[in-house]
Amino acid sequence: MANSEVYVLGGYQTDFARNWTKENKHFSALMREGVLGALEQCEIAPEEIESAHVGNFAAELYCMQGHLGAFFTEVHPAFSGLPTGRHEAACASGSIALLAASAEIEAGRYGLQAVVGIEQMKTVAADVGGDYLGTAAWYDQEAEGIEFPFPKLFGRLGDEYDARYGLKDEHLAEISRLNYANAKLNPNAQTRTWYMNKEQALCRTDDNPAIGGRIRIADASQVTDGAVCVFLASREYAERYAKGMGKSLSSIPRLKGWGHNTARLRFDDKVAESQGNEYVLPHVRSTITSAWERAGIADANGVDGIETHDCFTTSEYMAIDHFGLTAPGESWKAIEEGWLEIDGRHPMNPSGGLIGAGHPVGATGVRQLLDGCLQVTGEAGAYQVEGAKNFQTLNIGGSGTTSVSFIVGVD
Amino acid sequence: MSENTGSLSGSELRKALASREINHVVVLGANGTMGYGSAALFTQAVPRVTFLARTRDKAEEGLAAAIKQVRSPTVASRADVGDYGEDLEKALATADIVFEALTEDLEIKRTIFDKVEKARRDDSIVATVTSGLSINQLCEGRSESFRKHFMGLHFFNPPNVIVGTELIAGRDTDPELVAFVEAFSQVRLGREMVRTSDTPAFAGNRVGFKVLNEAAQLAEQLGPVLVDRLVGPYTGRAMTPLATIDLVGWDIHRAIVDNIHQNTEDEAHASLRLPDYMANMMEAGVLGNKTGGGFFKKDGKTRLALNPSSGDYTPESEISLPDLAYIDEVARLHTVGRYAEGMALFLAAEGDEAAIARKMIAGYISYAFHRAGEVTESITGIDMIMGAGFNWAPPSVLVDTMGVGPAVAMIEGAGLPVPSNLAEAAAAGRVEKFFNHPQVNIGKYFVAS
Repeated sequence: MANSEVYVLGGYQTDFARNWTKENKHFSALMREGVLGALEQCEIAPEEIESAHVGNFAAELYCMQGHLGAFFTEVHPAFSGLPTGRHEAACASGSIALLAASAEIEAGRYGLQAVVGIEQMKTVAADVGGDYLGTAAWYDQEAEGIEFPFPKLFGRLGDEYDARYGLKDEHLAEISRLNYANAKLNPNAQTRTWYMNKEQALCRTDDNPAIGGRIRIADASQVTDGAVCVFLASREYAERYAKGMGKSLSSIPRLKGWGHNTARLRFDDKVAESQGNEYVLPHVRSTITSAWERAGIADANGVDGIETHDCFTTSEYMAIDHFGLTAPGESWKAIEEGWLEIDGRHPMNPSGGLIGAGHPVGATGVRQLLDGCLQVTGEAGAYQVEGAKNFQTLNIGGSGTTSVSFIVGVD
Repeated sequence: MSENTGSLSGSELRKALASREINHVVVLGANGTMGYGSAALFTQAVPRVTFLARTRDKAEEGLAAAIKQVRSPTVASRADVGDYGEDLEKALATADIVFEALTEDLEIKRTIFDKVEKARRDDSIVATVTSGLSINQLCEGRSESFRKHFMGLHFFNPPNVIVGTELIAGRDTDPELVAFVEAFSQVRLGREMVRTSDTPAFAGNRVGFKVLNEAAQLAEQLGPVLVDRLVGPYTGRAMTPLATIDLVGWDIHRAIVDNIHQNTEDEAHASLRLPDYMANMMEAGVLGNKTGGGFFKKDGKTRLALNPSSGDYTPESEISLPDLAYIDEVARLHTVGRYAEGMALFLAAEGDEAAIARKMIAGYISYAFHRAGEVTESITGIDMIMGAGFNWAPPSVLVDTMGVGPAVAMIEGAGLPVPSNLAEAAAAGRVEKFFNHPQVNIGKYFVAS
């Protein structure tokens, strides 16, 4: 199966602290900086790109703009005429674009593809944006007329853990503290300059207001603007590229495994389905384990770190036991033991994750993969996990609805 | 060690960090703006921060302001207050960092350092937030231990918003301590660190306030509205120059440019002379936003602009401006991310106004490149502090975006001295970039207006 291998040549992330509306910038500037930045970073000529996939959740709502695949052609004259398209699966949109691109590489259609995850969200007020995000749930049943529906849905994920296994707020606060602390090491993280520490995360006053049940501001990732572009390549292209760059093929990150599941849309239906299952979101667990199977590894000990989808502290709490770092319901142990720290046993979100690095919805899955690549090539700078060879991502759309996981590594 | 820690690897940073623990910081002058702002910053990462001022009441005021600034109850739970009497002695006995933020006056600072020297632990770091006084002069005559542990840690105001920070070692400062403070400030306080020389106003204010003062000089003939339009966001900044002077305060502006003017002799000396109209208006109590207005002020919802020759204010809407269509064109290109094309249009724009704007930008680039090696080790340090301290397009970013040839032609066209490395690069047809910091998105500086 050597010829169906998919390599990741590298990529580029815009600074997630930027507010492109304040800069008076159109969505197309975000696309342009993301793609041109990646070309420059990877030293790839625009003429080399054969096809492009764009992951985006809701530009129609936030920017009054659809047809995003076509915007790729606006970036460079050489792109005019290229086959492009746009993919949507709420907060997992970026990963769905990656899956589509990698499948086309595996099928032998193209040698080099660009994948762009992109979202501009600061165009509207927070409550309006919160309502738009509600369309990632079953809007008229779970979100319509509710202020900030998603914190409430993920608050209920915490409640479900509490009911089944018990859950303490201090463990959630610790997840927040760690993501913010890691973000200070990441020069592209949205919150790298924000004031945060454990007391602030644990604060129960208006300085850290509740926004959905047990979810408070410090428990939440924040919307922002961002674009991330990576290049996926066939083995043949990657060999040529490596040679041109004076590198060995084995030093170029490869997609070793992937997982992808979609659960029922409504949170109640997911929870009802998982009654009696030791995992609260069994389809998320299945996404993780199927990636392991495809990569030929037994469990999370086969990866050196994880970039997970912590849209809220409860989703990272869920990820900890779903990755099998602890027995189901015992995620708190990994937190108390310090396993998730950058130099811990199972580093989780060294980038700061969604809470620390920021969550421009459609960009997140691609950002996670790029961070995984930076880790396994030793290019993650201050948030580098020493000696990392394999990294796993978990990207989730909706209330645990669409899950995608990649394992990226070098040999 | 490199000039900024952005290039330090995780393990290097962790190694430097592991060399000490910071459990207690004492802030002197904690009632002033820089004092309470810095103290608030420290509470984020340090278990105990002591706010000291002349009186306990003043220190309490500083603490209240700190809590308000960062909106976190953490500040109160980690802070205690006191005065410069017994409290100082007691606090310094356990302080790992003594952070001095008193009035910018050599004698006042020396007096407090007498007390610090007597009460400090031998291994405590002593840092000053001074933006203008010489680090070497401040520790002159102090003990060897004091000098070894003394450095400048220049946060910009307000420190919870502006992350650019200058780190200035004295002649006798222990390099390992400098590395520690650099790593600590970056990792624990989220700072963008730049090491600078102990030169007047260090790097950021030296380069930045030269440009701001030139804008103030220019306003005498052109008026503040036109000046801020010409050197507006499209030239690579979030805030326009004269609005910036109003925000920082005319008194602060004067202190900085007077310091540079008196203590340096460089090719742009005349640009650092405070305009007389500003000095006159300051005598009448005008200090910018904090006194209700400076170059601009608000009358209800109407924005008024100063007429520097008369001292009167006119509604901005009544001031007629020349044809500045080229600015709108540049902004339109910036909006869609075509920054290089935007700057090309700026370089080619016709008319006296565009020429004036180009002269200002050329002056910024020329002055900054001439200071490389003097105020920082290389242009990179100046680039980083102009980006992270002023939110201006770093000089190298402007050169890269214009292309070095056109940038040199612009400087020549303005009749300004061309920095030798730019001249050589242009002559050699160099295409490599001057700003090689992939983790800074240069597009953010080209604001589309």
